[in-house]
Amino acid sequence: MTALYDELRPVSVEQHYRVSHFLNYEYRLLDDERFDDWLGLMHEEVHYWMPGIENRRRENLLEHGFYAADHMAFFDDGLRDLGRRVARFKQPSAWAENPATRNVHQLTNVEVYYGENDGEYVVHSTFQSVRSRGLDEEYVIYGRRQDLIVQDGESFKIKKRLILIPNATLTCKNINTFL
Amino acid sequence: MEVIEKVFLCKVSELAENQVKKIDNAEFGDIAVYNLGGRYYATADLCTHATASLAEGDIEDDLITCPVHWGQFHIPTGKAQGFPCEIDLRTYPVEIEGDEIFALIEADPALIAKG
Amino acid sequence: MGNIIKTLDVTDSLTGLKDVCDLENGRIAGKIFYDQEIYEQELEKVFARCWLFVAHESQIPKTGDYITTSMGEDEVIVIRQKSGGIKVFLNACPHRGNKVCFAESGSTRGFICNYHGWSFNVEGNLVGQHESGVYEDSNFDKSKWGLKEVAQVDSYKGLVFATFDANAPSLKEYLGPIAWYMDALFDNQEGGTEFVGGCIRSTYECNWKIAAENFVGDILHAGWTHDSAARAMLGGSVAKVSDFEESYSVNWNGHGYEFALDTVGNVAVLGESALNKYLHTIKPSVAERLGDFRSNMIGSVSSCTIFPNFSFLPGQNTVRIWQPRGPNKMELFTWVVVNKSAPEEVKEKWRKGAMMTFSPTGVFEMDDGENWEYCTKTAKGRVTAQQDLFVGLGMDTLLTDTPLPANVYEGQLNEANSRAFYQYWYDMLNSRSWNEVPNRNVGKQEAE
Repeated sequence: MTALYDELRPVSVEQHYRVSHFLNYEYRLLDDERFDDWLGLMHEEVHYWMPGIENRRRENLLEHGFYAADHMAFFDDGLRDLGRRVARFKQPSAWAENPATRNVHQLTNVEVYYGENDGEYVVHSTFQSVRSRGLDEEYVIYGRRQDLIVQDGESFKIKKRLILIPNATLTCKNINTFL
Repeated sequence: MEVIEKVFLCKVSELAENQVKKIDNAEFGDIAVYNLGGRYYATADLCTHATASLAEGDIEDDLITCPVHWGQFHIPTGKAQGFPCEIDLRTYPVEIEGDEIFALIEADPALIAKG
Repeated sequence: MGNIIKTLDVTDSLTGLKDVCDLENGRIAGKIFYDQEIYEQELEKVFARCWLFVAHESQIPKTGDYITTSMGEDEVIVIRQKSGGIKVFLNACPHRGNKVCFAESGSTRGFICNYHGWSFNVEGNLVGQHESGVYEDSNFDKSKWGLKEVAQVDSYKGLVFATFDANAPSLKEYLGPIAWYMDALFDNQEGGTEFVGGCIRSTYECNWKIAAENFVGDILHAGWTHDSAARAMLGGSVAKVSDFEESYSVNWNGHGYEFALDTVGNVAVLGESALNKYLHTIKPSVAERLGDFRSNMIGSVSSCTIFPNFSFLPGQNTVRIWQPRGPNKMELFTWVVVNKSAPEEVKEKWRKGAMMTFSPTGVFEMDDGENWEYCTKTAKGRVTAQQDLFVGLGMDTLLTDTPLPANVYEGQLNEANSRAFYQYWYDMLNSRSWNEVPNRNVGKQEAE
């Protein structure tokens, strides 16, 4: 499912810092509801994918174990799709966004490796997203991520993101943020 | 010197292609007789893993699948195909005489699988 | 021979339901969304008796293919038989009740309980146990201890339903003429439909009826609740439903289908011109197959709930079960349905489009979630729960002179289907047997 440490070359300490910093910054943008800026971090060919997780027996696994490319998903977006989601967040008539949801996104376990091509980096990480709405709603979503980040001048763009949560049943009613 | 017993199983006409039949036998243990595409085989009927009659299982190509835990054996050789079946199945040479199918069983008490 | 479940003893109905459900006067009370006693009665008198959706035939094509799901709060296994039929078993070993199948879908030769190794084949028969010799010494009759089968299983146009109640009317009778309308989505092309692989499961803190009712006849909310989503997907507000010249709310036995005849109003919100184009392309063949009227429904502004908790949206092609998990909790199962004969690119666009709009990340569904949860949460208040809630829109809109089947009401901006849904719910809770359930249907059984 995920490439082993042995098959990939880890980047230098400095490059690791730069990529991690970028990803932490991405998360702060989301916490601040800066959706347009967040969208700006996406590569124009971005594939942003969070497949549905199916609880299957070991002898009966799907294409990728617990998920498959042509099965139901939470996100399976290109840039246009992400743009539409952002468009809804910005509508004054997005009633469920007023009062605002308060977000805290956390990123941990970051591993950065050289990708196949120059300027590309494969990043494994784990994340936790905490949202609170109203007076007492609190939802936590956590999981693993596998990103393909590409160098873009001094910064980076996100070209691929695979988000895998451990839950076969989402423990909340919606995901009104990005992960 | 070994004693080979010729045990009648059933008539050819009673065993259609890709079918398996259980033949009761108190002396040597129940026997399963198979017709695989016109070729006849015989094995012990009792699974080597748990109490189960292989004759109640399904034939898949040349394997017999035990109906209780779905372990498989290779019918011609009796070879256990893996978890949970680890012990090979006893097989018996088969002889056809006219319309009748016989199993040739070595009458060695140590080798009898009790039914 | 199967081991059919034991039927439940029927308990007494609650008194005082009239105070919280008085459809003649167009009112309900929030207590029905929060009360534990009412919920317990629902489990017994609705979910243990009605026909419940369990699977689509396409999910289990070959012998041994299975999915697991629940009927009310009872977990069941739905598995394809060698005979080609489908059996539905309680997902509980008849020995100590341990769950026997832990996966949500797969393919198997049978099930072995992890506790004492009771092994069941695809037909549900007990074929072996750990230390089986001991059982033989006790004169154990294996044939009486297979997996327990539900009372009835049947399917309509690929949709598999099951009921725990041997006395329930046939599925055909239960669906009645609503089936005629369902064909607009589930039988508009040769070969019928299939589900996209997988299932999205999510959790809501709301009462299942609120969501079921929303789909049974509440298109009224779309223009307001979903304004933001429509602007995001379409660049403008939702189609003005009140502008449609012709629309209907039809119901029967608590099932309801509300619809316009604009062909693509629903599918349009997916923002994929290829899907609109597909529906326009097949429309003539649908007209030949089902008639002009229903060919206008294939992706139109519409929604449907089959009582109690199976719903779908033609156009977005999203299919759901609102699984009860307590009076103020539900689990939502979401699938996408497509025509088997549709081109692969079209199926793929539906898979993605439905996810974009009606799923936990769906831009439309996000605003529904809040509404439904807070309709439930306010009923926590003892005083609030007993206040009148208005459900009286369109009280006198019954059409008696129409060739259409089922109970037909004029206009889809109407609460007639909501009233019919709650009325049937009320009747089921007040009836000790199916014979006692009043037949309030006034429309035609068949289209003219």
